[in-house]
Amino acid sequence: MDANLLSSYIFAVIVLNVLLGLMAYMTYIERKVMAAMQDRIGPNRTGPVGLLQPIADGLKLLVKEDIIPKHADRRIFLLAPLLSFVLAPVAAAVIPFGDSITVFGHEVNLYVADINVAVLYFLAIGSMGVFGIILGGYASANRYSLLGGLRAAAQVISYEIILGLSLIGVIILSGSLSLVEIVNQQSETLTIGPLQLPNWFILSQPLAFIIFLIAAVAETNRAPFDLPEAETELIGGFHTEYSGFRFSFFFLAEYISMIVISLFAATIFLGGTDGPIQDGVWWLALKACIFLFFYIWLRTTVPRFRYDQLMGLAWKVLLPLVLINILLTGFIRLWGLGML
Amino acid sequence: MAAEVLIFNLLSAVAIVSAVAMITMRNPVHSAIALVLTFVNVAAIFIMLRAEFLAAVQIIVYTGAVLVLILFVLMLVNPDDLPEFHSGKPMQNVFGFGVGLILLAEISVAILTRTVVAEPGPWNEEGVAAAGGNIQVIGQLLYSGYVLPIQATALVLLAATIGALFLGRPDEDQEPSPKRRTVATISLAHTRGADDDLIPALRAANIKREAGDRDLIMARDADEFTTSAEEEEKKGQSE
Repeated sequence: MDANLLSSYIFAVIVLNVLLGLMAYMTYIERKVMAAMQDRIGPNRTGPVGLLQPIADGLKLLVKEDIIPKHADRRIFLLAPLLSFVLAPVAAAVIPFGDSITVFGHEVNLYVADINVAVLYFLAIGSMGVFGIILGGYASANRYSLLGGLRAAAQVISYEIILGLSLIGVIILSGSLSLVEIVNQQSETLTIGPLQLPNWFILSQPLAFIIFLIAAVAETNRAPFDLPEAETELIGGFHTEYSGFRFSFFFLAEYISMIVISLFAATIFLGGTDGPIQDGVWWLALKACIFLFFYIWLRTTVPRFRYDQLMGLAWKVLLPLVLINILLTGFIRLWGLGML
Repeated sequence: MAAEVLIFNLLSAVAIVSAVAMITMRNPVHSAIALVLTFVNVAAIFIMLRAEFLAAVQIIVYTGAVLVLILFVLMLVNPDDLPEFHSGKPMQNVFGFGVGLILLAEISVAILTRTVVAEPGPWNEEGVAAAGGNIQVIGQLLYSGYVLPIQATALVLLAATIGALFLGRPDEDQEPSPKRRTVATISLAHTRGADDDLIPALRAANIKREAGDRDLIMARDADEFTTSAEEEEKKGQSE
């Protein structure tokens, strides 16, 4: 077998396992941080300071009964959570975790694949991910679930457009759809007068960054945009009828998507592995953690949107803003190239 | 290259099988899933042909389209009709079969006479690599030689959007709908089909004017619009 193929395969396995491990502790950190913000203690019984809590949760979900409703569309009911779960980590394949390193005399690239359409690939996987939710909602034969599924579909179609368009500005500036290329361009130093700044796209695309952040929250169905599972109106929405490990697949998928989209945002807007001292994967991790903390912070702070407000925000506020951003960026790019 | 041939055969076999499944499935949602499977496999074949851009766009565009298709099915088709949605329309079956045969004949004639294979275009692998990759080449071609078709397509899509908005707008000459509509609430928590017997009862029920201009249906007692557990059991046994 091709050595390159083998090394990216091994790297993919490592990334997948790290993601799954992180996911488990993401739930722990979320509960702890939320508890601190709400003046509670949070999980503290299982293991030292509750550190074994995710393992106990996982075991609990594993041994619970797997219930399939009588009227459910059985095959789709079984398929939907798997679809969600499989597609969530796949998008991480294009994220560059650093330059190549040498292991046992082989040069190993710290990314699974550098494809020339990485940004589009990411969006494509994201748009596939919602199938798990809508099919789960449909197959449950429960009207709350169906409503949750329909909401998820409408929400993701709307915010997918915003998400894609907010990236166009970055693509115009970088001239490439490859994430490796985008990161390389951001590691250059920008000199404006006496100031030495990193060429991160958050500085040249601040509006696109804010819009991307909002759309990313909606894309991952997190609070305050968690309308598909709004427990106060839809008693859990698309996953009402799911139990045991099938439910946890949806749960896992949500947290993995959160981590993956945080990594993606850090790569696109915050320069990825580029840092002030000693570039490396730790900078990427630190930046992703900032986004993850932001997710939790948002959840504890902002109440859930009403459904029409959610749609109004996407189509009446964010879409015009993002189009203006594309237009401006296009003109600036042409001016920069001396074509205007 | 044996591995590549093997993978191609696998992908095309799955694509064909799921395409056949798409037209033979009884349930429209199952059909839509088979359609997605076909598109994904075709996208994988595009990747094998080093047309990554085409593959990504294929998935983005068509999964979105199929999603909307599923939405239409779920919103426009009565869930109880779903399994038998296709059956009972012999004229449609005969007509569809005939049109399918004609299409198949056209395609096979085209393939057998090899007229599908046109002159190769001006771009070969070296040319694409020199221009910086196939995305750059597609972009330059689309916005130089094919500007007119692109603009025409955009115009057609715009017309379709405006047409949909026009058709979907509420009628102005009629009263606003909330006044005219009979508002009835059936518990969403009931399983599908459990409330069907209630609809005629609701229609025949005494409608009382309450709370502004809205028509409300008032239940005279708690059991009126609720099926009891015994009735449910009886229904389950007869099934």
